[in-house]
Amino acid sequence: MNVEKKNRAPFWILGKSGAYAFLILGLVATLLPFFYIMVSSLKTDAELRKTPPDFFPQQPTLKHYLTILTDEKIPIERNVANSVFVSLARVLITLFTSSFAGYIFAKYHFKGKNLAFGVILIQIMIPFQVVMIPNYLLVVKFGLIDRLWALILPAMVDAYGIFMMKQFIESMPAELMDAARIDGASEFGIYSRIILPQMGPPLASLGIFTFMATWNDYLWPLIVLTSPEKRTIPLLLVWFQTQHTSNQGLVLAASILTLLPIFFVYIFLQRWIVDQATQSAFK
Amino acid sequence: MAISISSLFKKEVVEEGGKLMAKQRRFAYASLIPILLYMGLFTLFPIVWAVVMSFFDYTPIREGSGFLGLGGANPFIRMDNFIELFTGTSKPAEVFRLAVRNTFLFTTLVLPLNLAVTLPLAVILESINERFKTLFRAIYFLPAISSSVALVTIWAYMYAPGWGLLSMMFKAVGLVPPKSWLQDPNTIYFGVPLAMIAVVVAHVWQDFGYNLVIFVAALQSIPKTLREAARVDGANTWQEFWLVVVPLLRRTILLASVLTVISSLQVFVIFQLLTRGGPKNQTQTMLLSIYENAFRFANNLGLSAAMSMILFMIILVLTIVQFRILRTEWEY
Repeated sequence: MNVEKKNRAPFWILGKSGAYAFLILGLVATLLPFFYIMVSSLKTDAELRKTPPDFFPQQPTLKHYLTILTDEKIPIERNVANSVFVSLARVLITLFTSSFAGYIFAKYHFKGKNLAFGVILIQIMIPFQVVMIPNYLLVVKFGLIDRLWALILPAMVDAYGIFMMKQFIESMPAELMDAARIDGASEFGIYSRIILPQMGPPLASLGIFTFMATWNDYLWPLIVLTSPEKRTIPLLLVWFQTQHTSNQGLVLAASILTLLPIFFVYIFLQRWIVDQATQSAFK
Repeated sequence: MAISISSLFKKEVVEEGGKLMAKQRRFAYASLIPILLYMGLFTLFPIVWAVVMSFFDYTPIREGSGFLGLGGANPFIRMDNFIELFTGTSKPAEVFRLAVRNTFLFTTLVLPLNLAVTLPLAVILESINERFKTLFRAIYFLPAISSSVALVTIWAYMYAPGWGLLSMMFKAVGLVPPKSWLQDPNTIYFGVPLAMIAVVVAHVWQDFGYNLVIFVAALQSIPKTLREAARVDGANTWQEFWLVVVPLLRRTILLASVLTVISSLQVFVIFQLLTRGGPKNQTQTMLLSIYENAFRFANNLGLSAAMSMILFMIILVLTIVQFRILRTEWEY
């Protein structure tokens, strides 16, 4: 009884309230930068220039947001559309290649299977910057520089995704597959009609992760995209930083707009996302 | 008669089964070949290409002669790129050696700071009520899912000289904030430039969520009985932490440390955008050097490939360590 009670009292001299104080301190440290940028993005230009600045805006305004969303000189629709297109394309392609290859590795027996799987796993061990230069030259050779397909083509197969899907499919019973075969289903039909419909949760996890990684990707787009109308959101934001150094409000509002879509996804799926991040460490 | 029919039937079944197996094998090969070809083109071939390129004086600006433009105007120079990087006096080589030092310095600072934040936080987090635990964990993980570019904007604003929030906070508690957090090359504490400290803090803030959730998960998997036994034996919470929890988490801490080091060696966005490698190259890192020599200031891809090989070797050793940790048998 006493033990059970002590179990809830974590730190030696802090006690329960001390523990919460520590947690809340961490919370403030985590959220304060986000919060400060958000409130600052609502300040007028005069308030942004004021020294020392007030923490909260005196006359909150959405002016900077409206400028970004409506100014003709800022091709934001194009840039958002680029990011959405690339992210969705990469999600769909990765989900297909991962689940399909995962299915083959999980359910078929053939010579050279381990070797083939090993070849795919090499991708996990190779840091991006090693293949960055040759892949850039490949993209040049394919004539894809400054085209959105340069972001998609080199990222169509994800070794970690295949690994994850293989593990999941291995746990599915083979009886269903045999039954489908007797009913005359083709091998691909077994994948698309028996296996795929049961893979909601792992596909969702992989999809969310691929989406976030693509949405936030910066280095590779920086290398292969050059013209303003081809930029993805992070490149647009960097362009804002360099062009509008005098207009802080625009830069701050643009940062918040960049963060919001991911936050929105995160609010609904945070449990999945955190669990997935935890598991990927133990892959 | 009956016997022969049954044996015939059996043979047919076996043949039928064999045909089925052959059909499945064909399907498996037909499906995997495109994927393997793709991996060959975008992973294996680039690795080999990068290795080969690091022995050439290669730039795509010059039309080379041989396969892939390696040769002719882009000559094979044996180990010269590496010799230049280790001992040469050219600007890129000197900056790169600085970058190697800075990358290690950064990693050395990030790891202990990260563990000092995440371990205690995870232990406390693990001990609280389930509902709050999920909420806190979700919020702590927020920076980890955010766009690095947006976070850099945030930190640039936090570190703004004079009137930035950090300077204001320093003033509020009676401290004198530095004139410039990110651009003053002369403020150095214990051999660490202030700009580097600023980057380390911003990076740990962005990255601590990963280790936190890993530690919370590991703590949850430690059987309650072990910690209860320690308490029944009269251990206080401090002793319980150091004598029970930390030893039991040893493998996870080791794994998280290796992962943190591997990722710290490859941080890019914050260096490229927050400090741009400055001031006076004090925050120049290996990856930033690779990028700048390949794509920004020069198209010296051979030299950049050699740089990437050096970084790769370091990471490869760490990856092998990581896999060894993962493979060790472990039971509570």
